[in-house]
Amino acid sequence: MRTGARAIVVVLALALSACGASAPGASSSNSYQGKTIHLGAILSLTGAGGVYGPSSQKGMQLAVDKINGSGGVNGAQIALDVKDDNSDKAQSAQVAQTLIQQGQLLGLLGPTLSNSAVAVHPLAESFKIPILAVSTTGIHIVPDCNYPKTDPCKYVFRDSLGEESAIPANIKTYADTAHPKTGVLMVANDDKFSSDGGKIVQNTVSQNGIQLLDTVQFSKTTADFATPVTKAVQKKPDVIFITSLGGIPAKIMIEARKQGFTGQFLGGNGFNTAVVSKQAGADGKGAQSGSAWYINNTFASNSGFVQAYRAKNSGDPDQFAAQGYAAILILADAAKRANLTFSDIPGDRTKLRDAMESVNIDTPLGRFQFTSNHDVKQTIWIIQMDGNGGFTLVKSVTPS
Amino acid sequence: MTQQILNAIFIGSIYALFAVGYTLVFGVLDVLNLAHSAVFMLGAVITYSLVALHGMPFLPAAVIAVLVCGLLGLLIEFVALRPLRRRNAPPISALISTIGLALIFVAIVEQANPGSFFSWLWQDGANSVRFPAGAVPNPTFHVLGLTIEGTKLLILITAVVLMLVLGYVIRFTQLGRALRAVAENRRAATLLGIQVDRIFASTLFLSSALGGLAGLLFGLAISDISPYIGRDQVELKGLAVIVLGGMGSIPGAVLGGYLLGLIEVLAFVRFGSNVEAGVAFAALFLVLVIRPQGLFGARLRERL
Repeated sequence: MRTGARAIVVVLALALSACGASAPGASSSNSYQGKTIHLGAILSLTGAGGVYGPSSQKGMQLAVDKINGSGGVNGAQIALDVKDDNSDKAQSAQVAQTLIQQGQLLGLLGPTLSNSAVAVHPLAESFKIPILAVSTTGIHIVPDCNYPKTDPCKYVFRDSLGEESAIPANIKTYADTAHPKTGVLMVANDDKFSSDGGKIVQNTVSQNGIQLLDTVQFSKTTADFATPVTKAVQKKPDVIFITSLGGIPAKIMIEARKQGFTGQFLGGNGFNTAVVSKQAGADGKGAQSGSAWYINNTFASNSGFVQAYRAKNSGDPDQFAAQGYAAILILADAAKRANLTFSDIPGDRTKLRDAMESVNIDTPLGRFQFTSNHDVKQTIWIIQMDGNGGFTLVKSVTPS
Repeated sequence: MTQQILNAIFIGSIYALFAVGYTLVFGVLDVLNLAHSAVFMLGAVITYSLVALHGMPFLPAAVIAVLVCGLLGLLIEFVALRPLRRRNAPPISALISTIGLALIFVAIVEQANPGSFFSWLWQDGANSVRFPAGAVPNPTFHVLGLTIEGTKLLILITAVVLMLVLGYVIRFTQLGRALRAVAENRRAATLLGIQVDRIFASTLFLSSALGGLAGLLFGLAISDISPYIGRDQVELKGLAVIVLGGMGSIPGAVLGGYLLGLIEVLAFVRFGSNVEAGVAFAALFLVLVIRPQGLFGARLRERL
């Protein structure tokens, strides 16, 4: 399969280089004129990750339209091909394979879930196509995409704030003010994103003086959360930590409040979408998490994004839209500086990758750069659900 | 522990309500209607749509949703089952065609966003939503340290009452006699002047209305309405329940529902989620080894 795909890539590349040979000696920016930069995105538009994928897509499309509408990348237009992976790991790899086999893509975005990234990122790495993760926050995403192998993946980047940064910052912020003594962790055990988050909570609580009374594991397909929630609430903890995704954090909050829990909910990236805040409603008020983005930040690159998003879509953007939008800006900036040939696709991919390493631009997330590990280095915004489907800012944390 | 047993009874009621409709179709038509889980989902989605998008009070919305689900049952009969039966296709074909319909129903909902063709039905795409606060009163009682919710109590009562009504209908009414006759021997029933096609249609209507009702009660009690609630959370369990209870047996489906709920909850409390499903299905396996026909599975002709 892989050799077949490689053969197709090579043939296409040869065909394209034959076409491109007719314009020798054109200067680097002129050679972009009239060309198309093909990008592919693997997103979870349906299934458990369907809470996040559509937001990413809207953010990306907004950036693509904005760039194309204002003259493109040195005159080249961006074409974004979005494919749904149904939140399924196998389907995600299959979709990535299909996109790669088209042969003309310079870069990939996604996939939405860390669980799928484990399958997709090594694939992109082996085909030497730069891939930019826009929402995966689990551990071993960058640089060790081939974990347990530890040699760094050269073509894998991410612009989404990792849970390894966000969860400890959030727990510390809460512990510093409220000094909780006990907690129970509720974690979905059949999903990488969730179980990674659980591990991070387990490793962090004791440093903040919190005793973990119990870890309640559940399946993400649990229908009725009454049973696991009863188990947690009966321990009478000060804090319930929730590391899970989709509508599950909201369902747990609703159920826990019904059962009389009055303590604090602390969580991870799974809290950070308006959909979850809306579903939790009043029961989620005060639920706190570390986020890569905050809607009411007033710096220009964010307020402009929020305004444009509201003008085009009904409703407000969320963190995933902001990260999707930022991803396109990052790739466009890299493509602009990469001196692409549009004839030697494999060569262009490597040029794009090299240019990505030195990205330094303003995005809705703030000033954006990659670390030497291709991870994001940025301010963490500690936010709380406001009980009406939105969030309020508690404080901002600059990572040391 | 008592709270956990209450939890088991409530989730068991949902399994039972779902499985009753499932097993009814199997009992009469000898076909597994795998679109049942999609109708379950639509019961919740349609009620939500009427309440949240069209401002209707909950009760009339629920009645309309149940009736619409009944009509969807007729659609399943006319589109997915009858044409195949006319051609004497094997039951496996009917099973596949109901899977097809289920996929279509789920796709319609998950693709529905503001501005799309089906935005009058659903606007939240793949997201999970709950009924707007205050749309349905849900008094919560705290008795002896136990939490009992009004909506869950409603599910329990509905499940028990419906089982009794259904039992009465099947045992003592004209329709019930016809149903049993068709289930026992389709050809003989035809010879006796029973319009078999009409019985099939009634069965699908009844079964789907029950499925829709189970779905809307699920959405109400669990605060989770999404395109996937049927497929992810009750479909396989419903199948396990009717196997456990005896394929086609209604009392079996009810008992099986409560039993599965209980086994799952006890397994979760005792062993945790890693073995929850394992224990439940091991129990199912054990029952089938001891009683291959299921708990209430009689010989074929007595199963209703």
